[in-house]
Amino acid sequence: MIPLGFYVAISAFLFCLGIFGAMTRRNVIGVLISIELILNAANINLVAFNKYLGDKTGLGEIFSLFVIAIAAAASVVGLVLIIAIYRNSKSLFTEDFHLMKE
Amino acid sequence: MSDIIFYVIAGCVCLFGLLSVTARSIFHCAMFLAMGLLSIAGLYFYLDAQFLGIIQTLVYVGGIVTLFVYAIKLTTHIDDTTIKQVNAQLLPAAVIVIFLFMIILRLFAGADLMKLVPSTASTSIAQVGEAFMTTYALPFEFMSVILLAALVGAIVIGKVK
Repeated sequence: MIPLGFYVAISAFLFCLGIFGAMTRRNVIGVLISIELILNAANINLVAFNKYLGDKTGLGEIFSLFVIAIAAAASVVGLVLIIAIYRNSKSLFTEDFHLMKE
Repeated sequence: MSDIIFYVIAGCVCLFGLLSVTARSIFHCAMFLAMGLLSIAGLYFYLDAQFLGIIQTLVYVGGIVTLFVYAIKLTTHIDDTTIKQVNAQLLPAAVIVIFLFMIILRLFAGADLMKLVPSTASTSIAQVGEAFMTTYALPFEFMSVILLAALVGAIVIGKVK
């Protein structure tokens, strides 16, 4: 039997990868990809704890469905913002986005 | 046998997660992300959450990764391999993240998670659907409003003036 700790370890690894990508990527689409990884790490934890604690109503499963819906809405808005910024500044690199600092 | 399947899936999740963060070309990143999300769907199937696995495949791999590919292809000449893809914070970020990983593992090591065994109780798709229509009807409706707002907002922002 797989212990619950393994799922927690996988989820922590994915979460840290996401943080690392969000901090180091120059490309904004790469940052968004990293944020998707972070959200998925949270979902793995929810589903694993739901299974191991034996919740018959499936609360963790339902909650992660809500997380997936929010993540979809967030990434749609994020990608459209990226395309709108690209149309103005012709760049996708994070250091070129300083409209609010001028 | 069942354990081997888990280790294969877990290895795929970690490998593709790592590749989707470190690959040079942003298009390759999106493809590795699709593979990683599919492996996570496999993890959900392994945990008896069939409905979630199907939704993960449909929404993430079918929807979000497709959007990523569209965005990458619409904002062209950026996946040139000669362009530097990481900023100057590479080393500090790596140190911080490794430290964070250690802290998380240390925290959960105290919780004694290795002794828990998975329960045999599993939620069927019918139960999940029923819960959405009864117990969680209000959040479900709110979710549809949020999705509609995101849709309208995306059209407004993305429209060429």
